[in-house]
Amino acid sequence: MKEKLTTLENALSPIVSGSTVMIGGSLLRRQPNAAVRQLIRNKVRDLTVLSWAGTTAIDLLAAADAIRRWEGIYVGLFNYGLAPNFRRAVESGRIEVRDFSETAMVARLRAAAQGMPFLPIRTLFGSDLAKVNPEQIRTFDCPFTGEKLQAIAAAEPEFTIIHGYAGDKYGNVQWPVVRDTDDMDQPMAAGARRLIVTVEKIVPHDEIKKQPSLTYIPGNWVEAIVEVPYGAHPAACDTLYDEDDAHMSDYIARSKTADGVKAYLDEFAHGLREHAAYIEKCGGLSALSALNVKGRA
Amino acid sequence: MATYSNNELITAYLARQIQDDDLCFVGVGTNGRAFTLAVGMPLAAARLAQMGHAPGAAVYWGNLLEPDLSVIPEHFTQDAFTQWHAAACPPDTGVKCDMLARRKFDVSFNSAAQLDRYGNMNITAIGDYRKPKVRLVGSLAQPEHFAFVRRPILLMDLDARSFVEKVDFITSAGHLSGGNSRREAGLGEGGPALVVTDKAIFDFAEDTREMRLRSLHPGVTKDEVLAAMSFVPLVPETIPETEAPTAEELARIRKDIDPNRILLKV
Repeated sequence: MKEKLTTLENALSPIVSGSTVMIGGSLLRRQPNAAVRQLIRNKVRDLTVLSWAGTTAIDLLAAADAIRRWEGIYVGLFNYGLAPNFRRAVESGRIEVRDFSETAMVARLRAAAQGMPFLPIRTLFGSDLAKVNPEQIRTFDCPFTGEKLQAIAAAEPEFTIIHGYAGDKYGNVQWPVVRDTDDMDQPMAAGARRLIVTVEKIVPHDEIKKQPSLTYIPGNWVEAIVEVPYGAHPAACDTLYDEDDAHMSDYIARSKTADGVKAYLDEFAHGLREHAAYIEKCGGLSALSALNVKGRA
Repeated sequence: MATYSNNELITAYLARQIQDDDLCFVGVGTNGRAFTLAVGMPLAAARLAQMGHAPGAAVYWGNLLEPDLSVIPEHFTQDAFTQWHAAACPPDTGVKCDMLARRKFDVSFNSAAQLDRYGNMNITAIGDYRKPKVRLVGSLAQPEHFAFVRRPILLMDLDARSFVEKVDFITSAGHLSGGNSRREAGLGEGGPALVVTDKAIFDFAEDTREMRLRSLHPGVTKDEVLAAMSFVPLVPETIPETEAPTAEELARIRKDIDPNRILLKV
């Protein structure tokens, strides 16, 4: 097996301005925020970003003016309301959006995983989601029944970034037995071209290989794996730590203006050389451990 | 006569719309009043139905199929979701999408920023889609609910900004332009069945598919309702009153289902 353990800087260096990047996680779970802060430090721009239910990762990239186009089912901050920086950028016309409903996005991900140019759905008849996007949503007749169906173009990003729970140096990433499964990270990984994963913890391969059915991202699919404790902060990593309410509230307050969030980014992304410095900036591992969920190892 | 809150009235009404063996979709998000509308009252109603006439009613919440509604989490932070006991937790959200597309759901609970005369709804953008006045959250599975669920129920406070003649963007196709237009567009049976508000309840006329006043909540007048809408719905000659909750329903809501007033807080 090939060793794929590296640094955030090395893992993300192939992503340049203008790239197309799928961002994993859903709502406040496992947003790959450490990787996103590295992309911001790298000053990449004009990205086409794809997501499932995107929150902090998408809003941070929007705050850094790194997104030219977004495609997905949702961007907001879950129970914290609308995503302030994404919203501002879409309303000003800086970000072009292409909205997909859930069955449509699932079709895009599964088509990519199957190597197919599209998969059909029958959800979006009469919806403006289809009307505004003839490039990726097209009606055709079923060759068997003649029924009208909608072809949804495969999601084929150049890069896919997913934040996971634990993995080994070969890139094998495992999920816990009980977790919050309301996401599409595994199908995203299955259809990825260049897959970059960050994990909370690197564990010995001997532990991974005892329970291979828990490996949802096989190292065989992975280009690079990076250890970033609290890598989803200020969002949550289910089974390990909750969202950081104080940090989220501070981020939202400072995001009221473009200048406010610029100062936030200077403080928490541009001004820090690496993820370890971010951890220190947030009070260190001991302070962040206050977010750890109770009653778990 | 028992006194009750508006939220209790709505919860008891919703519970009566749930039939035995119905599979109901309840969303996960938002906070404040939006949480009460989208999550709190639907969960309380589903549990109330289970405790009474519909013991076989099931809920799909987030990606949990049949979560244990006898123990609803007290805090809605991530770990409370993760630890909530349930019959099943499918491997990803695609499973729920497949169940929607195969029309396995009987009821869904939905809310929107805008809803129009024919039950089309918008959670995507206010104003022009390309350069909106307000960019909203996108679409989630709301198009699926209106396309595939048998009886979607909207929960929204009555407000002239939300109840509009025509939505700025059709996220979810309801009854489109009325009559047969939904069928002609390629959609099957379904579309919004009921609109439950803080003042009144609406349904959609069988022929024209226009929104129609179905009942007024006790103490609310027709004029109050019409003043809070940007279009005039169909109004029958006699308008019934929304049926009040029974003492037994109130006792179950207060003592068993939501003793700490989390679900029906605001």
